[in-house]
Amino acid sequence: MSTLTSERVVPLDGSVSPGKDRLGGKADGIVRMRRLGLRVPPAFTIPVTECRRYHDSGGRLDEETWRAVLDGLRWLERETGRRLGDPSAPLLVSVRSGAPVSMPGMMDTVLNLGITDEVERALATLSGDSDFARDTHTRFCAQFGKVVLDADIEDPEPGTDPESLRSQVAEESGREVPREPLDQLREAINAVFASWRSRRAIAYRKHWGISDEGGTAVTVQAMVFGNLGEASGTGVFFTRDPLTGSPQPYGEWLPGGQGEDVVSGTHAVQTLGDLAAQLPDVHAELLEAGRVLERENGDVQDIEFTVEKGQLYLLQTRSAKRSPAAAARTAVDFAEAGIVDRATALQRVTPEQVASVLQPRLAPAAAETAEVLARGEPACPGVAAGTVVGDSEAADAAAGEGRAVVLVRPTTSPEDIAGMIAARAVVTELGGSTSHAAVVTRALGRPCVVGVGRGVTADWTGREVTIDATKGIVYAGQLPTEAVRAEDDPALSRLLAWAREACPVQVVDEVPEGTVDLDAAGVGLDPATPPDPEQLGTLLTGAPCARGAMLATPAGARAVLEAGVPAMAAAPGQHPLVLLLHLLHARSEQRTASGGGGA
Amino acid sequence: VADLLLLALHGLAVKSAATPDAVAALVGQSPGDVQQALESAVADGHAIGAKGRFMVTPAGRAWLDDTYPRAFAAHRADPGFTSAADKFERINRDLLALLTDWQSMPAGGERVPNTHADPDYDRAIVDRLGDLHDRAAKVLDRLTSAEPRLEGYVTRLDAAYDKALAGEVDYLSGVRVDSYHVVWHELHEDLLRMLGRTREE
Repeated sequence: MSTLTSERVVPLDGSVSPGKDRLGGKADGIVRMRRLGLRVPPAFTIPVTECRRYHDSGGRLDEETWRAVLDGLRWLERETGRRLGDPSAPLLVSVRSGAPVSMPGMMDTVLNLGITDEVERALATLSGDSDFARDTHTRFCAQFGKVVLDADIEDPEPGTDPESLRSQVAEESGREVPREPLDQLREAINAVFASWRSRRAIAYRKHWGISDEGGTAVTVQAMVFGNLGEASGTGVFFTRDPLTGSPQPYGEWLPGGQGEDVVSGTHAVQTLGDLAAQLPDVHAELLEAGRVLERENGDVQDIEFTVEKGQLYLLQTRSAKRSPAAAARTAVDFAEAGIVDRATALQRVTPEQVASVLQPRLAPAAAETAEVLARGEPACPGVAAGTVVGDSEAADAAAGEGRAVVLVRPTTSPEDIAGMIAARAVVTELGGSTSHAAVVTRALGRPCVVGVGRGVTADWTGREVTIDATKGIVYAGQLPTEAVRAEDDPALSRLLAWAREACPVQVVDEVPEGTVDLDAAGVGLDPATPPDPEQLGTLLTGAPCARGAMLATPAGARAVLEAGVPAMAAAPGQHPLVLLLHLLHARSEQRTASGGGGA
Repeated sequence: VADLLLLALHGLAVKSAATPDAVAALVGQSPGDVQQALESAVADGHAIGAKGRFMVTPAGRAWLDDTYPRAFAAHRADPGFTSAADKFERINRDLLALLTDWQSMPAGGERVPNTHADPDYDRAIVDRLGDLHDRAAKVLDRLTSAEPRLEGYVTRLDAAYDKALAGEVDYLSGVRVDSYHVVWHELHEDLLRMLGRTREE
């Protein structure tokens, strides 16, 4: 029912056909949601072809295209009953890039276009919250300055005067944040198109062999607000619990929360249960939307939504991030519900996730009675015990003698890295979960607790401690741990059965005669120096069975498949499911690479 | 020669246990000169050497702490240099937050490991790194014009960023390669030592 006559702007009202090549990824997603009957804030897109025209005209927006944008804007104003720059019913919009393939270097997002001093005052009245109106204005100036004008400025403190942001931006970039809404819109659109030829975007395309032809679309979308009236708010909704994977929906609801442009810390977070009590129809509609999107996309969804005066809007949906345990459980549940096949389910779970679920845990009874030495922030999860050492050299020396040690430092500098590699776990007095120590231990997969407090560890050297880095607790003494058995976990045992069935290589319990033991041959023991593939191939070819530490790596799995080894035996500490998943993932990669399709 | 002694031992303190070649690359001097300087540091009791690698001794650390204020007095008194170092600290916070997002992802109020199964998520972070790399370039320009040997870090950061852009995921936060974080962490330590500042985390 497009009311627009020009091909140069496409209203995303569900009447258009999806198509990433023309509309870009962002608009394509909106069209797909609209076609499923879901409500998203009204939007139009300027298709990829206009980006080409922009560059063909030497980096200028064609006047006919701009007129089409103004038509699109009028359509958006009719759809929303608001107008850009009109204080009696102000429309604010977001501007986003959307290339067919998303890539670094593209201008990302500018929110709250259309704000002016007058609109700020109007928003203050409408919301009854002048701080919110002020912050919206200030953050628009900051974001426009950073994203469109490339000014390197700090994020503004709440309450900062927009004028001071404007002068900071002018000083840093030599350009002004426009005061007229239409100028804001036009400059933002230009910046998106221009960013197609940014140095970083060109470098990325070169690296990946993507053509410099083509371009990006620009999507202009009405902003909805969860703080402009009764029965409003914002939230996020996971269609399954992302920590356990149980089918119980999980989410957060902030009544009166603004929406897309989230200001932290001002609203008490409530649960979806609270939403159900306050707005039962909205809650029911949200759950139904979740079911529709799960089926359509074949995976657990993480949905951002805003409720404006009792009307539910979906802002974004994507595959939900999840814990290792949830990855296993949801993969199995989706396969059993027939939403995906078993091969897909097996591809959804990584060997690392399985290994993480199978990590030993502290025996709960022991933890309850143990002395807590300190609490800090978990930086890298896991459980480990050992003797405390205070520096890198001692850690290195002890590890050389095969002793388990825990490295404890006030902070970590580059010279501590050798010690962090040698230690079983790391504790620091200062710093949070984004400190250097946290980054390094996560890269190593070493359990780490940070920020236990200045001076707290002063007399720890030589003591036995146990670290529960999942909870951020340091216990006195060596506490017993419990192994987790895959057989006791319904999801893992199901995955194990499916993996055995799907995998061309058997994982056997008994080590048959003639098994090639890579560890005994000294091959692949040091992860930093991968073995020569040819040597590996010679060793494995013709072997009836193989085993070794490196078989639980992508390179090891590839070598086994390429050499046609029919069976593997688990080395100590290896779980058959981990080996099988490595093989299945490697096989799927081989098929993708040879053009035969995945899974 | 005193300067070379200082630079060699300073580079060794940044690197921890290291070969003369690695220290030479870090401080922008010839490996032969650095080898000589480190051997004389061993004679002074400021370093120990074994199997071709050297380490700073506690006495060497004390000597460095005594020597820094005089050796880097000009930088410490230069508001242009210290304000660039302040800006570096701000970018440092952003880098650590970015690398945290690279390694772990928010899921339902907790963070879970990034399995790198979501290309869009990873691409967005590489994009943020590109943005940060551009911001850092401006600050590093100011630092290297005062202390040209820091140019070596710039070259290594460029190389790490290029690898990250080309999809080599280890080159963001990996420990066993010359990743962006490894180089940055050393540069940070170098600046802290020159300016006599204490690490906040």
